[in-house]
Amino acid sequence: MIKFENVSKIYEKDDCHALEKINLEIQPGEFVSIVGRSGAGKSSLLRMIYAEDKPTEGEIYFDEAPLSDLRKKEIPKHRRNIGVIFQEFKLLKRKTAFENVSFALEACGEPEEEIQEDVPKILEIVGLKDKMNDYPNELSAGQQQKLAIARALIHKPAVIVADEPTGNLDPESSEDILKLLLKINKLGTTVILATHDKMIVDKAEKRVICLEKGKLKCDDPKGKYNVK
Amino acid sequence: MFLTINRTFKEATKSISRNIWLTLATFLVIVLSLYFISIVYVATFSIKGVMNNIQDNLNVSVYFNSETTEAEIMEAKDFFSKNGDVKSIDYVSKEDALEDFKKYNASDSDIMQSLEEIGENPLWSYLSIKVHNVEKYSEIVQYIENSPQKEKISRINYTKTKEAINSLNGIVKMIERIGITLGSIFSLIAVIITFNTIRLTIYARKKEIEVMRLVGASNFYIRLPFVFEGLLYGLASAITSMILLFLTLRFLIPLVSKSISVENVMAFYLHNIWILIGIQVGLGIILGVCSSLIAIRKYLKI
Repeated sequence: MIKFENVSKIYEKDDCHALEKINLEIQPGEFVSIVGRSGAGKSSLLRMIYAEDKPTEGEIYFDEAPLSDLRKKEIPKHRRNIGVIFQEFKLLKRKTAFENVSFALEACGEPEEEIQEDVPKILEIVGLKDKMNDYPNELSAGQQQKLAIARALIHKPAVIVADEPTGNLDPESSEDILKLLLKINKLGTTVILATHDKMIVDKAEKRVICLEKGKLKCDDPKGKYNVK
Repeated sequence: MFLTINRTFKEATKSISRNIWLTLATFLVIVLSLYFISIVYVATFSIKGVMNNIQDNLNVSVYFNSETTEAEIMEAKDFFSKNGDVKSIDYVSKEDALEDFKKYNASDSDIMQSLEEIGENPLWSYLSIKVHNVEKYSEIVQYIENSPQKEKISRINYTKTKEAINSLNGIVKMIERIGITLGSIFSLIAVIITFNTIRLTIYARKKEIEVMRLVGASNFYIRLPFVFEGLLYGLASAITSMILLFLTLRFLIPLVSKSISVENVMAFYLHNIWILIGIQVGLGIILGVCSSLIAIRKYLKI
């Protein structure tokens, strides 16, 4: 589904080699944790999947199509196939939980009836149905991240990309989020999770890819968190 | 498509109402620049209209000595019409001149009474000469003064009108210059202010734009609200400026100047209302949308 072929990323501005000759493949329906210290290149790798960044060298294939072939106009369409979740949630404060999710559909030109039908469903999946009219600051951190996941899921994407989703959460909420991601994965969505959180990685008992200084250090199909 | 336009338009109106002072400043500057440009347009055109009118009525009147016969005057007429600058020559006989004089002064009983007392026709026959180009009047006068016909001529009448034309020409040129300068300065300020407003809106909505990109909103959808914002500024300003212009012409002109007829200017305003609306709305939209597009290009990284 996603294939990295000799991918390197150099940020010329500060002469930083974020990634060096990465080769890896992720199959549909997989749950992959990407671990590594800060600056190991986890976020760079994720950003290239949703076409926010381009590799300096090498090629990334999504459903066998090279991403370098994507024209600027086609990028939004590609992104609808990928749900993205961040450490800082990136919710809109002035909008309610419902509006934060419906906004994603509106921006992509979905009709009103579909929005009224789909948004409550997705909020129910993440367990926020009764918080529909609450604003983000009325929700707990864990609930905010669930709302961000709901927004990421609304386009029924093939892949969920999560960049440190539990970075701002207490252990209990982190576990909740992991459970939710595992549930989503079970329903058939590929999940790519970049994290520092040892507990999450160990509990997931799924494939672990570790990066060190931009290089692929290990790729364990049923790994544990092994960053020192 | 309709859904996109509807949603982005709503987004633009929200953004406009969110920061009312910024909106007001932007709006006022565009109104001012449009207002100046249209005032200049109306002023130059109405003065040009007045001038054309004056120029049409301009002529050199050549009066002949009383002993000159009609045949001699006709001979002089033939002679003058050979000059290339002459547009037309009308012969006005003593009788016609008297008729005209009576018609013109019919309401003035004093003049009519003294005319009767004189008993005979006191007026002279004359040739009324019009030229193609106003500037040529002095040359024509010289030509007549130096012609072999000069013996028969008693008087040539033209000087006053020439000065009037020169001063009007000067006024028109000055108004045009001031107007173009002020209009350009205000347009530039309008573009800078609108550009800045849109830039601030882009900053204020940075997070929203980021989320829109992440969820796969098309670039068109992300940009459209800002274009609409510029468009709305332009449109609202055009309408306001149109109303201001109307009020100025209707109420201010009679206070400031008695020499310009309000009816004439209003007639011009109403006659050209579609052109004026077109210019204002067109310019307003160009100012608003162009500023938006510059700001989007510079600050909206998609």
